Amino acid sequence: MLTFISQIINGLNQSAVLLIATLGLLIIFGLMNVINMAHGEMIMVGAFVTYIATSILNIPFLIALVLSFVVTALFGALTEVTIIKKLYSKPTETILATYALSIILKEIARIIWPLSQNVNMPFPGTISLGGVIVPRYNIFVVIMAILLLTFTIIFFRFTKFGKKIGAITQNRQMTECLGIKTSTIDTLTFAYGAGLAGIAGCILAPTTGVSYDMGSTYLTDSFMTVVVGGVQSLIGAAFSSTIIGEGRTVLAGVSNDTWAKIMIFLAVIILIRFKPEGLFAKERR
Amino acid sequence: MKMKRIIALAASMVLMASLAGCGSSASASKGSASSGSSDSSSGDSIKIGVLFSSTGSTALVEKTMTDACTMAFDEINAAGGINGRKIEYIHEDYASDPAKCTEKIKKLIEQDGVVATVGCYTSASRQATLPTLKDDDSLLIYPTYTEGEEVHPNVIYVGCMPNQQATDFIPYLMQNVGKKVFLVGSDYVFPKTCNKQAKALIEQNGGEVVGEEYAPLGQTDFSTICNKIKDSGADLVYSTVIGDSNTAFYKAYKQYGLDPAKCPICAIGIDESNLQAIGADYAEGNYASMPYFSTLDTQASKDFVEKYNEKFDDGTVVTVLTESAYSSCYLLAEALKKVDDPTDTDALIKAFAGVEFDAPQGKIKVDEYNHSTWLYSRFAKIHDGKFDIIYSSDEAIRPEPWPAVLYPKYKDTNFMPDWNDPICYPQ
Repeated sequence: MLTFISQIINGLNQSAVLLIATLGLLIIFGLMNVINMAHGEMIMVGAFVTYIATSILNIPFLIALVLSFVVTALFGALTEVTIIKKLYSKPTETILATYALSIILKEIARIIWPLSQNVNMPFPGTISLGGVIVPRYNIFVVIMAILLLTFTIIFFRFTKFGKKIGAITQNRQMTECLGIKTSTIDTLTFAYGAGLAGIAGCILAPTTGVSYDMGSTYLTDSFMTVVVGGVQSLIGAAFSSTIIGEGRTVLAGVSNDTWAKIMIFLAVIILIRFKPEGLFAKERR
Repeated sequence: MKMKRIIALAASMVLMASLAGCGSSASASKGSASSGSSDSSSGDSIKIGVLFSSTGSTALVEKTMTDACTMAFDEINAAGGINGRKIEYIHEDYASDPAKCTEKIKKLIEQDGVVATVGCYTSASRQATLPTLKDDDSLLIYPTYTEGEEVHPNVIYVGCMPNQQATDFIPYLMQNVGKKVFLVGSDYVFPKTCNKQAKALIEQNGGEVVGEEYAPLGQTDFSTICNKIKDSGADLVYSTVIGDSNTAFYKAYKQYGLDPAKCPICAIGIDESNLQAIGADYAEGNYASMPYFSTLDTQASKDFVEKYNEKFDDGTVVTVLTESAYSSCYLLAEALKKVDDPTDTDALIKAFAGVEFDAPQGKIKVDEYNHSTWLYSRFAKIHDGKFDIIYSSDEAIRPEPWPAVLYPKYKDTNFMPDWNDPICYPQ
């Protein structure tokens, strides 16, 4: 029984990791319709920023967290202005461009850091909750996931900026007619999405290490979470990452990791067969 | 409507990308990167193929193996070559893709006319070359440690067999660490075959297997496995986890409250390239077994590490695989010296029997019968982010492709079935 409870708690951690890794993609893919194949590499950029900050420059982890957001967001803004902006109406070309970008980033990282690098665990140790041992870092990850989700929801629902993005998503031309500079908002939204991917990289770095090929693992998982949750729904992403994370961990507890992975993918295929718009689809005109 | 199309498009791209990540890299170079002079009419040099990836998922490891081969062949040439003839090595990149490996070995043998090839990293890539080697009657020198239970007449296995990692290691662990063992591995053939042998050895030495778990390749969440280890009451974890998953595993291990001082991870799948990423704190106190560690304190080993680091200052480190690729080239050179006509493959294979080389790890020798190599057994305890060698066998240990502990019937036939037996290699 204790093990089962412990599995559920571990599942929360995995769900939080999944949610953090997905948020950035949700914004770029869900709100801007850009299929960002370089999402995984943006996570990698954030992770390498964390590595450079904490392991080489000895900057505290929490400041590295902010740095990874800022640097990746700037990088995202640059990408948007130079590459993505010209391609909004051409999804196929966007895929090619971002895929190319992902390869370029990966290869550059490989030349500089051929080996996987270590980021020290910022909050080592465990706490015991009635016999269940929980790593401190996991608690931090779950709190971060909740904070990022809440902040993003508030940002998009209740601020003027967020409402403008909503308007653009619904009808770009009409929004432009109303005198809103869609171009600037696009850049900022893309930058915010990229920055979130950077934070994901930072949070993943202490547990998985930092390597040039770390991104590809999370690309598939993130797209899966977005599609299951419903492409434009932040709440949907929270639900789907919880279902997938908990499902995987609990199933792995009763069978093993390989089977858990197979079952989850099977469930996802069945789900999108019958509900292709995801669990929390928004009404679209 | 448009949204659905985009989702479909995204889904197919993600699928493609993840497939690409699995091994085949569509963008890999088609051109042949060849070193050495490409004058095909030079009758005086001996042509040797070097077949390792420079692109794709396993390129990083294979790059150090290519480098080691370059270093070895340059040294052999500088020392006068093979009976006065220079070695001309031709490098081909198979882009971490077994299908491409078949194509490239064909090219090396049929177009370039190499007398033998040093190469391949994964078992899948090696097995992709086997039909061609047989049809074209050529030879492959394979430097990677392997799971055994395969002996091909056209392959010389220089990497270690599981018995060379386990037969000394497991009794030591039973006596000095504990009897209750939890087996953890990556989910594919190498860990499963090695663990089969480990289980037999554990039981033979009075130990007990209290659990067995496999994680998919590339897994980064080890919380469930750590929980199961905790519940099992194990004294030690015998690990065959491979690659970068190790970082997540070692970190999760301590994060979830398991203590290497009480229950160490004893691994046969980690080397120097993993240690940096795991970090000194998390690697501390765990064990590893390999024929060679770059911390080996002998002149030959120190010279080798120094030479490599001087020549290839690119962030890579010397591992057992680098050493093995280097030794493979020298063993091949020694065998070539014994034959009159290097293109006579049968004679060359015969010449390999009993060939010796003073490798960085010590004196090694190709077995007279089973095409595998006598190597040292060494194990180390990790301290301060380095392998502290705590045991070295006095001399090289005989390889057992079909280990005696599992297949007593092959004990008197050089640890392998008859050469004509179809179970010798995948047909």
